[in-house]
Amino acid sequence: MSPLLLYQLVAFGLLAVGLFGLLSRSSLVGMLISVELMLNGAGLSIVAAGQLTPMPHELGQAAALFVMGLAAAESTLVLAIVYVVRKRFGSAASDAVSELRG
Amino acid sequence: MRELVVQVSFALYAALTLGGAVWAVTAKSLVRALLGLTLSLMGVAALYVLIAAPLVALMQILIYVGAVVVLIFFAIMLTRAQAEQEEAGARDAGRTLRAGAAGLVVAGLLAAACLRHGPKIAGTAVEVPPSDIGAAFLGPYVLGFEVISVVLFAAMAGAVVLAFERRKPR
Repeated sequence: MSPLLLYQLVAFGLLAVGLFGLLSRSSLVGMLISVELMLNGAGLSIVAAGQLTPMPHELGQAAALFVMGLAAAESTLVLAIVYVVRKRFGSAASDAVSELRG
Repeated sequence: MRELVVQVSFALYAALTLGGAVWAVTAKSLVRALLGLTLSLMGVAALYVLIAAPLVALMQILIYVGAVVVLIFFAIMLTRAQAEQEEAGARDAGRTLRAGAAGLVVAGLLAAACLRHGPKIAGTAVEVPPSDIGAAFLGPYVLGFEVISVVLFAAMAGAVVLAFERRKPR
């Protein structure tokens, strides 16, 4: 197996585990942790594709840095949203946010 | 000899990454889940070093382990999610099964496509100096570079606006 394939398989493993966590966790913070796992898998896949193929190497690394910046912005916003949900609904569980239920 | 060292360290780091990830999604306590996430992030940073991308590995540790993990820890402490014990009770077997099936199907489809139609080319990883990455950021990708700073600012301003406690008028 080529190194690129091994790296992509590790990234797919992170994607599978993160998707599992996103769907099985019941608290918003647990879901945020799973999303971070998936974003990490994406970054790993991008850098591996940039480094192990004959494309310009700095492009893959720059794209991974973009992913990291977006992940930081996303987790900042999710922190604020979780805080507001906790204040308004009294719990940080995803089932608690069900005001529209008839 | 060198080949063997690389293979063994790849296996070790991949096991660290995936093991930490599994711990992060299965741990009952959210603080332990965060520790699993940290392990996984460190494993990914080591994998970056292995393909000659030390700058990305350093940024991974700086941004993820240094900032994002601390932010999530703040979120856990602010919401007192652990004290509520909400992860402990609500373990529905059917839900876990469906979630596992969804994750395996999506990643399995992608992995099958990658195994069958993946590129057969194999380049060797060459370390690029950080000045090249900086030139890429400030040369052809300067728009993205500037937009991401706007995105970061908007996210921070949005967080402040959301969490700001307005004093009630009497």
